[in-house]
Amino acid sequence: MTEANENFRAWWLLSPTLLLYSLTFLLPVCLLVVMSFAKFENSVTSFGFYLDNYRKVFGDGITILIFWRTVKLSIYITVACVLLGFPVAMVMRRASPRGRLWLLFFIVSPLLTSIIVRNVAWVLILGRSGIINDTLREWGLIAAPLPLMYNTFGVVLAVVHVYLSFMVLPIYGALQAINPSTEEAAASLGASPLRVFWFVTLPQSLPGLAAGCTLVFILSMGVYLTPVIMGGNFVLTLPMLITDVVRNQYNWPAASAMSLMLLAAIGAMVLASTAVRRFGRQG
Amino acid sequence: MENEYSSRLGYRLLLAITALVITFLIAPLAILVIQSFTAESYLSFPPPSYGLRWYANVLTSADWQDSAALSLLLACIVTPCSLAIGTMAAFGLNRGPLKGRQALYALMISPMVLPHIVLGLGIFRIALELNISDSMLAFVPAHLTITIPFVIITVGASLQSFDISMEEAAQSLGASRFGAVWHVTLPIIRPGLIAGAIFSFIISFDEFIITFFLATYSRTLPLEMFSTLMFQVKPSIAAVSSLTLAVTAGLTAILMFRGQVAGESGIIK
Repeated sequence: MTEANENFRAWWLLSPTLLLYSLTFLLPVCLLVVMSFAKFENSVTSFGFYLDNYRKVFGDGITILIFWRTVKLSIYITVACVLLGFPVAMVMRRASPRGRLWLLFFIVSPLLTSIIVRNVAWVLILGRSGIINDTLREWGLIAAPLPLMYNTFGVVLAVVHVYLSFMVLPIYGALQAINPSTEEAAASLGASPLRVFWFVTLPQSLPGLAAGCTLVFILSMGVYLTPVIMGGNFVLTLPMLITDVVRNQYNWPAASAMSLMLLAAIGAMVLASTAVRRFGRQG
Repeated sequence: MENEYSSRLGYRLLLAITALVITFLIAPLAILVIQSFTAESYLSFPPPSYGLRWYANVLTSADWQDSAALSLLLACIVTPCSLAIGTMAAFGLNRGPLKGRQALYALMISPMVLPHIVLGLGIFRIALELNISDSMLAFVPAHLTITIPFVIITVGASLQSFDISMEEAAQSLGASRFGAVWHVTLPIIRPGLIAGAIFSFIISFDEFIITFFLATYSRTLPLEMFSTLMFQVKPSIAAVSSLTLAVTAGLTAILMFRGQVAGESGIIK
């Protein structure tokens, strides 16, 4: 078997995927780039090289505001995932094999549970006549329902519920790769557990932490369904704006420019994460 | 001594947080299932009386039947296609002495990191140009784009730990190249194949935003649930959610019992 033959066979095996991707992934993305430079006037799209959309997106004051709000929301979600996920990953590392399997089950199974089902569950708990508000009213503790959803809190809570697994798994992976003797050495030299964690464990787990943060941040930037259900019209994010601009205004050029804005933010996050990981490796 | 004490205290704190997190993950779903068995016409917890009233309601409703049928049909078309195409790609990536394999691998799984909203927008535009937006011709390729990366990852991880000399042994004993793969390699990497198939099914069954763009009149189950939920929170939505949960939980259980937990099959690397 010659090398050329092997090469041909590999490309042949890859060809169905490449063909599909070129139609459903590469072409659409290229089309969005082209459309973002088109002009939209009186509901007519004329192609060309215009910067109108970008001028509008950065200049109308609203889009950029919503963009930053989406970034802020994604940061809240990422931070919450770190705070909840890191302890779980640390417990998983120290647990017995059996306990670890159970924990893994609890962490992974939500990954495979329908997102909309999980949102429904939160609506039933946090809604105006959800469990919490109903119970508190029954006990006479509150007169009017507490605003538990249709705000940032509700959205963050429900998105964290969906994406927490994506934080725990990479951190757990990084923690497992740490040689425990480095921590024991630090402890035997008199470092307190907190110092051991801060100066030995945490720096070594940075690659996993960076991977988890990148993943959760990227997913949060693009999430549509959960903010719509949990935020109603009170939490407007960039994906919601894009959807509205296309479905109700048919303004493809503006929506394309906004999509590229979203992609740029995600690209920046990936670059930052790569830098952190490289830094972590140099240690 | 002091350190040991604070270490134990610290670990207890970690355990407490973990217990809270697990409760946070599981309790809402448990409550949802309990609520779905209410016999009342409203949702409350705990329900004053229990019954299968809303399950009967949902299972006999034409809207729910149609959307569930469409979602099942779609997932049943997508899963085998995704498994076949993704497995081919995983073999191609694993076996070919390709230059730039890393870059190609990154390209192959990149639909995972592209926000589905952007992907959906682009696919919607192409489907509009081709005039196929509200049909299986658009739904199936769109779903395949987001499921194939999962198959490439799970099957690729299995192939990486597969000892290729077994396949070569079969060939030297007279098996054809394809025969060796079919009778030797595929049975050995079966856990990866099962994981890939289950991920494909669940992702397709649960997909919302891309189908939301594409569909005009067609309603998949997530679309139907969404529009019901936006209109009113009724016990029927709890019953449908519980049924969906049962389907995905069943598939997840298969995945777990096969010893292919996502973290180990390399979903997150």
